[in-house]
Amino acid sequence: MAATSAGRIAGLCRQFQRCVSISPSFKLQQTEYCSSRCVSLSNRLSSFSPAVNSAQYRLFHTSQSRKGLEEFFDPPENWGETTVKSGAPWTAKQLRAKSNEDLHKLWYVLLKEKNMLLTTEQESKRQRLQMPGPERLKKVERSMTRLDSAVQEREGALRLLLTGQEKGRPGEWRRNVFGHVYWYRFREHPIPWHLNSRYRRKRFFTPEFVEPHMRLRLEKRIRSKVRKAQLEKQKEEKQAELFPKASAQTA
Amino acid sequence: MRLTALLSMAAKAAFPRDYRYGTSRPWTFAAKRRNPPGLHRRKVFVDDIPNENWSVFKGDTVEILAGKDKGKQGKVIQVFRHRNWVILEGLNAHYRFIGKTNDYRGTYIASEAPLLLTQISLIDPTDRKPTEVGWRFTEEGERVRVSTRTGRIIPKPPVQRSDGVVREQWKDGPKDTPTEDALLKTYTPSLKTLEEEVMDAMGIKEDRRNHTSYWY
Repeated sequence: MAATSAGRIAGLCRQFQRCVSISPSFKLQQTEYCSSRCVSLSNRLSSFSPAVNSAQYRLFHTSQSRKGLEEFFDPPENWGETTVKSGAPWTAKQLRAKSNEDLHKLWYVLLKEKNMLLTTEQESKRQRLQMPGPERLKKVERSMTRLDSAVQEREGALRLLLTGQEKGRPGEWRRNVFGHVYWYRFREHPIPWHLNSRYRRKRFFTPEFVEPHMRLRLEKRIRSKVRKAQLEKQKEEKQAELFPKASAQTA
Repeated sequence: MRLTALLSMAAKAAFPRDYRYGTSRPWTFAAKRRNPPGLHRRKVFVDDIPNENWSVFKGDTVEILAGKDKGKQGKVIQVFRHRNWVILEGLNAHYRFIGKTNDYRGTYIASEAPLLLTQISLIDPTDRKPTEVGWRFTEEGERVRVSTRTGRIIPKPPVQRSDGVVREQWKDGPKDTPTEDALLKTYTPSLKTLEEEVMDAMGIKEDRRNHTSYWY
């Protein structure tokens, strides 16, 4: 079973690669740049200055070539394997120590790796096979969320320092027709509110006939809170009765 | 409801409030056979031990104080926090056949039964006798398990990762960043946002100004 399933994925990949012809120069580029999740950044990025040859940026920024579709798939060594060795994801601490340009580049490296893994996952679902190395996808997603949070932290600190605003997007507390007070997030519009007929139809107040319902809702909420507290108290009493703490043993 | 919420609801297995968790994982066939939907068994009361006071870990050597294999010492291979259970290797085992078919009687294996924490005791490394254990702080500030009888520190067993990776024997793959590069600090604090810094580095000049917009 394993042999045939491995053979099928390998067959598909081989079929695909036959359609995509790779020029030798491109292959050199591919081994040197990108297509990697955690590409070795130090050589190119730690000495980041405009004096570095612009050829590098050009090679990095433009899409590699129209025939770059093989980057959507695993490298050939992984075809047909059940497990693929992968390293640990990036931690938030490591990402906070990187410069903004490094993070910008790493984001796209991770994005391409994620696309590759999602393609593999979809293809395995289509062929009803086990995806090789599914934990890689989780690792990449976690690295990306941590990167995003590191960038957001920096942006938030800068915004607080320069403008004094805590939130990036304006908003305010408003009441809706059901009597709920919620944080209404503003949206960007080309026309002022007094000319916006659809906005004027929205009601940010509570009509008075809703007040009895609000009272009933409040009563229900209070009752359920009291019920929960009583349940917790009963649980604790039962625990104390069954497992008296005076003679409790730890291991 | 959002589609993602609906799909995640379907993916996440829901269990009733009075579900009795056993030694098998709830999604396995054995567990489903034991706990079919609609089953209501008497509630099992479990002593609520907070995380800080939990002293037995996977890989510890403990001694059995009660039961069939009383007095024997064994290594912990599995810990069930939800029922305060511990499974020792080869001890407190009953034997059964698995993989039985009509002609073949199956493989005879030892299946270990779980032991409660009260039936277990950690072992003092000095005299290898069961002892009570408490948590104390060392001079460095580390929180360790200490045998109350002798005062000897009981070290935590080394954690084996579930993916089988051993840190000392790890070799980076083609897509892995080397350790020095990953830990290298390239960040210099500045008053520019990420977008501004990247635009400066890439030589992008944005002269267009946003049209007036209204936020409400």
